[in-house]
Amino acid sequence: MRGGSDSIESAPVARVNTSEWTLDYPPFFAYFEWLLSQAAQYADASMLQVKNLGYDSWQTIYFQRATVVASELVLLYALYLFVKSSPSSSKKQSHAAAVSILLSPGLLIIDHIHFQYNGFLYGILIHSIVFARSDPGKLASGIVFAALLCLKHIYLYLAPAYFVYLLRAYCIGPRSIFDIRFFNCIKLGLGLGAVFALAFGPFAYLEQISQLLSRLFPFSRGLCHAYWAPNVWAMYSFTDRVLILVAPYLKLPLNTSAVNSVTRGLVGDTSFAVLPNITPRTTFILTLAAQIPALLKLFLAPTWHTFVSTLTLCAYGSFLFGWHVHEKAILLVIIPFSLLALKDRRYLGAFRPLAVAGHVSLFPLLFTAMEFPVKVVYTVFWLVAVLLVFDRVAPASEKPRVFLLDRFSLLYIAVAIPLIAYCSLVHQMVFGAKYEFLPLMFISSYSAIGVFGSWVGFLVVFFTE
Amino acid sequence: MPPSSSHRPRKKRKAEISSSSSNGTVSYDANTKREKPAFPLVAFFWPARGTSISQWILLPCILMVVGLFRWCTGIWPYSGFRKPPMHGDFEAQRHWMELTTNLPLTHWYFHNLEWWGLDYPPLTAYHSWLLGKVGALIRPEWFALYLSRGMDDLDLKVFMRATVIISEYLVYIPAVIICVRHFAKLYHINSWESSIALTAILMQPATILIDHGHFQYNTVMLGFVVATISSMLAGRALWSCVFFVGALGFKQMALFYAPAVAAYLAGVCLFPRVNPLRFLGIATVTIASFGILYLPLLLGTTYDTYRNVPLSSDVVKPALLSAFPFEIKEKTWYYPYLLQLAQSTHRIFPFARGLFEDKVANVWCAVHSSGVHKLHQYSSTLLSRAALALTLASIAPPCVILFLRPKRRLTPLAFAATAWGFFLCSYQVHEKNILLPLLPMTLLLASDGGMNPAIRAWVGYANLLGCWTMFPLLARDELRIPYVVLTLLWSYLVGLPPCSFSLYFGQVSGDSLHWSTKLLHLVTYLAMLVWHGVELFMRPPSDKPDLWVVANVCIGAAGFGICYLWCLWRLLEDSGLLVDLGLVKKSSTDAEKKKQ
Repeated sequence: MRGGSDSIESAPVARVNTSEWTLDYPPFFAYFEWLLSQAAQYADASMLQVKNLGYDSWQTIYFQRATVVASELVLLYALYLFVKSSPSSSKKQSHAAAVSILLSPGLLIIDHIHFQYNGFLYGILIHSIVFARSDPGKLASGIVFAALLCLKHIYLYLAPAYFVYLLRAYCIGPRSIFDIRFFNCIKLGLGLGAVFALAFGPFAYLEQISQLLSRLFPFSRGLCHAYWAPNVWAMYSFTDRVLILVAPYLKLPLNTSAVNSVTRGLVGDTSFAVLPNITPRTTFILTLAAQIPALLKLFLAPTWHTFVSTLTLCAYGSFLFGWHVHEKAILLVIIPFSLLALKDRRYLGAFRPLAVAGHVSLFPLLFTAMEFPVKVVYTVFWLVAVLLVFDRVAPASEKPRVFLLDRFSLLYIAVAIPLIAYCSLVHQMVFGAKYEFLPLMFISSYSAIGVFGSWVGFLVVFFTE
Repeated sequence: MPPSSSHRPRKKRKAEISSSSSNGTVSYDANTKREKPAFPLVAFFWPARGTSISQWILLPCILMVVGLFRWCTGIWPYSGFRKPPMHGDFEAQRHWMELTTNLPLTHWYFHNLEWWGLDYPPLTAYHSWLLGKVGALIRPEWFALYLSRGMDDLDLKVFMRATVIISEYLVYIPAVIICVRHFAKLYHINSWESSIALTAILMQPATILIDHGHFQYNTVMLGFVVATISSMLAGRALWSCVFFVGALGFKQMALFYAPAVAAYLAGVCLFPRVNPLRFLGIATVTIASFGILYLPLLLGTTYDTYRNVPLSSDVVKPALLSAFPFEIKEKTWYYPYLLQLAQSTHRIFPFARGLFEDKVANVWCAVHSSGVHKLHQYSSTLLSRAALALTLASIAPPCVILFLRPKRRLTPLAFAATAWGFFLCSYQVHEKNILLPLLPMTLLLASDGGMNPAIRAWVGYANLLGCWTMFPLLARDELRIPYVVLTLLWSYLVGLPPCSFSLYFGQVSGDSLHWSTKLLHLVTYLAMLVWHGVELFMRPPSDKPDLWVVANVCIGAAGFGICYLWCLWRLLEDSGLLVDLGLVKKSSTDAEKKKQ
């Protein structure tokens, strides 16, 4: 485990987010950054003797990198609690899952090379999930999750599962839904209220709430992010682009202005040439539709396992159908799923394509030649080691596996190798700088198939259980 | 990735994991009555123990991990990064690619010697030529003649770093893998334990820091040396000649090992019985290898003579030419060849340089800079003679032992002892040359009982001390953090101070170290730690700006001297000479061997 963090430490590439205030994050994250900047001032003050400019920028990078590594201790502790809280029959599996999360190439790519604090945030999420395991911990779980929401609002995607779980398992007694536990409700309400007041109170006082919300929820941005996140809309866009080529033969109506806009690149407002355009409302309805069945099941059987499964499915739903999804959000699916993947071999079967697709989809985030071997070799190593270990420690399932899904995932994983080779090397050699969008499009469409396929596989496992 | 159930290893190794492990990787916990990993690196391999994970998966994983650490080290600056006027080793290597690809072959060893003139043997020149050709395909301006000097393009850095890694993966790493396998065959070590030893050897911090941080191609030369050792282990004397000529042809520093190689090869021709045929074979193969090594240079000379490419008028004729007993006329047909050979030899062996360069932890520098005895009062001829005498005195014992007892299993120790002798006493030594004695010593990890406390403690001691003496060099290159990370990582993996003191204080199963060894090691480790603290927080007194470096050199030289003695002692003990001479009773050494 230590080796992993050491390798992370020795990889200080890339750009550092030097601006003190990242304004599209909720208030708690701003407070967190403020704390860091206090520490930075202290660190800088002791380094002020060195007036060399180049040296100084290295110091900044050292400091920023060090804060990421240090804040990741939260994740380490959360995983330790997770292993500790798991029953002794599944200690080994939990341990394997914990190590796989800690060494996750997703965190390496996003946090330690691209620069973000996801390890810290996911640490808090796992804390909250672990708290939810025991009955007395449910209140703490809710409050921690509320604090997490105030750190990064992307976790709103998971909120429905929390809402249903806490409602059913904490606010309502186990016997019937009319057995309302008022004292619990009040405790939870007060706790959540306090967290949100602490977060948004100062802004409400300064009357900046509307500005804050517009920063947090950018519906003015396009359907797809700059690089397409591997979701349904990536496949939709891909289909559209294929249809542009085919349309003249099928005599389909073609929106010519959209043809040019799509060809121009992948940034901003996406409009489709052949297929109908997508509105935020459509994505919202589809997301809810994807989440509701799982939420219903959670309401009927509020166990911890169902809760984590529902969390995963909520994340899947919003990732696959959401508006302006960023590819980094795939960790939102992978990390809760990792906690479940070792439940039995059927879960593992659904996890495999996700592990490949999710991490491959992060590759375009890093594009310099120096970073290329790091991301590819580390991810391949992680996949080989983790999938191999998972394969051995996952217990056999009581139900038969779905044959087709297994073959699908094997074939799918095999395709990854030529694809990465093409996108990273062959394309450049053949086309040079032309058709730059092509590799990106292949990667996101490929990953989209994997994510979608693993979603279907997981749905099957979840609802047949 | 196929599920493991459908995957079968191609053949079962004979020696599968036995419950009692031979090589010191597993210790027995008396309290819980269970086996446990003896040091953290073993713990990483624990899931693969005695199971169906085949070498076909384990080996690629090891190679990926060690490759990642190498590449991540490469992200850091290299020597001379944005440091005009002369830059550093990176510029030297790049410049050689520039000159070999752009100039006729006869000019290589003559071209502008002030700006990083080529001073390595021909194989390096050919290697540079090949890499330069490939690089020019990617971007010609990287190696444009004259225009590319001191270039620090980021893409060029990636290319150069990649060439180091690729060269290493083509030479050093296969050689180490094969060598470890030969050890395993020789001593019946199971493949799981050899994999652990392989990882420990490949994670050796000094080599990674110098090649991938500071920037050099040492691993190519070291790879040939490992191949030499592994050929000797396999009993293929002729191949060892070929590989050793390769090592010499890549970097003259391989001469550190030459006496040991010669002693071994001479020994196998004479003992147990005189074998003239073998001697003839060795001689022929060696001469033929040298011929092949110089063949491109000579062919190029023929071509340039045929084309009438003149040397530039300001070249200085090598002094070596006039050293011939008879006069050589410039008009003769063989003159250009002699000129090239003489010039390359002249460039490779810089007789005119000083006794030591910079601050290096050997006897001369320690004696001189510590103020015990200032050496610049003597003439350089006297000093070089003294260096020669002392070097001969230090390398004679290991070479004589190896000559009298040319056993395969003695080669790593004899190589290490000879290289230590050279490093400590010879002329013109660089701090980077510490890699040469460290290599065969680190290979001991793969040998019989190599990961037992006795050997592991000494190998770790030499390696950590070696890295530590290179710290001033690495600090100049802005490589402090890789230094800290890689050395601490290795010491953690192999279970050494400062990460773990279990070798010295814990309950060690099997043989434990002698108390004097423990004391010696712990005092040195303490000195190293204190030194780092002092170096970090205190400025040296203004009249002695080099005080910390001098302290480093003196401690280092003392420690290396002890390492030399340890290698020599082990060699003497393992050779069985003591028993044969009746100095030690046989039973006691047998008992000692059993203990290990």
